[in-house]
Amino acid sequence: MGKDECKTMLDALNKVTACYRHLVIALGSTSDSQNLREELKKTRKKAQELAVANRTKLTTLLKDKSISKDDRAEYERLWVLFTSSMELLEVDMKRSLEIGQDFPLKVPTRHLIQTGMTGSTTTVAARAMSVQNMKYEADASIDTVDLKELETEIAQVDQMMEEMEMKVQVAPWAVEAKQEAGAELKSTVSVGNSSVGVISICEEEPKETVEGETGLMKVFAGIIFTAVLLIAGILGYLVINL
Amino acid sequence: MTINTLSQDGVQRQQMPCLTKMERMIISMQDPDMGIKLRNQRLLITVIPHAMTGIDIVEWLIKKFSISDEEALHIGQLFVKYGYIYPLKEPRNLILKADDSPYRFQTPYYWMSTRWPASELDYAIYLAKKNIRKQGELIEYEKECYNALHKRINHTWDFVVMQAREQLRASKQRRKADRIVLECQEQAYWLVTRPPPGTLDNIDYGPERRTMNTRVQLNAEFYKKEIEHNRISLARNRVKSSICLESYVKYCEQYQPHDPIMQGCLPSNPWITDDIMFWNMNSEVVAVPTKLRVECWSFSFMELLNDPMGRKEFLTYLEKEFSAENLCFWQACEDVRHGETSKIPEKVDEVYKQFLSPGASRWVNIDSKTMEKTLEGLKHPHRFVLDDAQMHIYFLMKKDSYPRYLKSELYKNLLARAIVPQETKKSVFPFMRRQRHSSPSPALATQTGEDDGKAKNSNSVKSNSGTASRL
Repeated sequence: MGKDECKTMLDALNKVTACYRHLVIALGSTSDSQNLREELKKTRKKAQELAVANRTKLTTLLKDKSISKDDRAEYERLWVLFTSSMELLEVDMKRSLEIGQDFPLKVPTRHLIQTGMTGSTTTVAARAMSVQNMKYEADASIDTVDLKELETEIAQVDQMMEEMEMKVQVAPWAVEAKQEAGAELKSTVSVGNSSVGVISICEEEPKETVEGETGLMKVFAGIIFTAVLLIAGILGYLVINL
Repeated sequence: MTINTLSQDGVQRQQMPCLTKMERMIISMQDPDMGIKLRNQRLLITVIPHAMTGIDIVEWLIKKFSISDEEALHIGQLFVKYGYIYPLKEPRNLILKADDSPYRFQTPYYWMSTRWPASELDYAIYLAKKNIRKQGELIEYEKECYNALHKRINHTWDFVVMQAREQLRASKQRRKADRIVLECQEQAYWLVTRPPPGTLDNIDYGPERRTMNTRVQLNAEFYKKEIEHNRISLARNRVKSSICLESYVKYCEQYQPHDPIMQGCLPSNPWITDDIMFWNMNSEVVAVPTKLRVECWSFSFMELLNDPMGRKEFLTYLEKEFSAENLCFWQACEDVRHGETSKIPEKVDEVYKQFLSPGASRWVNIDSKTMEKTLEGLKHPHRFVLDDAQMHIYFLMKKDSYPRYLKSELYKNLLARAIVPQETKKSVFPFMRRQRHSSPSPALATQTGEDDGKAKNSNSVKSNSGTASRL
């Protein structure tokens, strides 16, 4: 059905937008490299394809006068999601143009900002492109050549958003979100747990200022530790005796 | 579509110049040979490179720019305040400590920029991500912001949740050290852009201008105008600062005796002693002017003309020299320039009849070119139509009559006659408080008599601060 198709396409666009932002954050830093520029280009092109596909689908759905009110509300909600995604994408594209111009790669004295990030962004790009491994085939002058393309693409996106505003009459403030506050905390099994261990290291510093919490955590950890020790001792004793 | 905080019109926000300068300095810090020495940061198991200590930063600044300790510390503070460098030990405390506390550079995407102000959508996504990571344990003010944003941009809340989840999944693809750095960076960015309540807001973006009507067409016409404008600006007359500073010093030296605050005013400062003799002696029409006032006329022609008494004296002198019409003409032109718009045509007509027409009673001597131009302009009179002629006459008087006036008997006699007021004697008993009265404020004057009495009593107590505030 139209709605499900739309949703999957929007999810894909959402994913690509998130990955694109992630890649743009790495621009200009020590993670920057020719590969990154190529990844940016590919992700951007994919994002644009998805955007165009989404737009045509949604505009046809919204132009259809014969849909029910609920359906229409749902499509309007999807439309708002789409436009927000496009906004983020547009900003990121403009910023990547700016940063890309400020930090060219093929200069004799390259001064990339040493931010502490040294890994590559291949996996992120692979996720965006939905492939297993990324193939890199661009030539050395990609950082300057790509910028010109980027400018034209930004102009295209601008134009597309203007058209969208004109053609589709959706009042964004009338749309009600389905999720309520704190909705992201539910169904976070895959996201929350694995990151908690990592994050606690970074957050240890800010937690210093929050009194009482560190004390509690320490007591809790101490209790668990002693409990584990006790159980190990008991098991060892039993093993030796049996 | 959310309300876009970007100005999509042709009018793009410019990056603040101080930020551009800071960016340049940050980039120069990255130089492998001349830049800052970087160390590794050890966190339990992971090692993250590119950390530097506060003292490193200060020393580098001292060495590079040959400045003092304090100045280097101050500049370093600016870097941390504006988010180009963030502290690793106490992220919420955005100050630079000149010891071995670790700092790291911020990635260019998160640099402070007036061109790309942070949007509410971004902040909402950040808070949602933090919510997920901390399983709902946000700090107080963050919780409030979260709820407020949920209400404000409710229509895109689904997008916020979706995007937050996706961004977290994307960052999971990186290795652990990079993930830590990413989080620290983002946290530092939001601490600077959305400071917690009670801390100073570091940047002022200025008013948002959302005028969609002034969309500029970037075509050939626009660029031609820009080129012309830049060309004219390049050809602008510039004065070397050494020259204008010299003349500034001379000006200050010349006017220092005349400044009531620097030199004190005789007989006494009315604001302090409530004695208005000073104003009386310097009022517009006075039989005997003060010496300072007459001396001031010799400083510049404008001083003479601005003082009503000076103007009158000058007029008497010019009448003796039979060139009084110049000053009258100048005065009439001033009247046109500063007078009512509706009266301009008739005033200009008057001026023409009296001063400019061929058989006028008080004909002024203007060169032919200016006369032609003025006569042309008189057909469509406006406020500044007599400007050229006025300027010509002004310079005529300044070059010719004014120096002669200063050397004339009239002026010298006046200077000799001018008085230097006596400083009022201070009271003999040093501890006796002088009676101070404040003048009744105009608001009170309109009230009934009983209120007047009460107000006067309360005012006399506060008179000191009252008069000072009226200064």
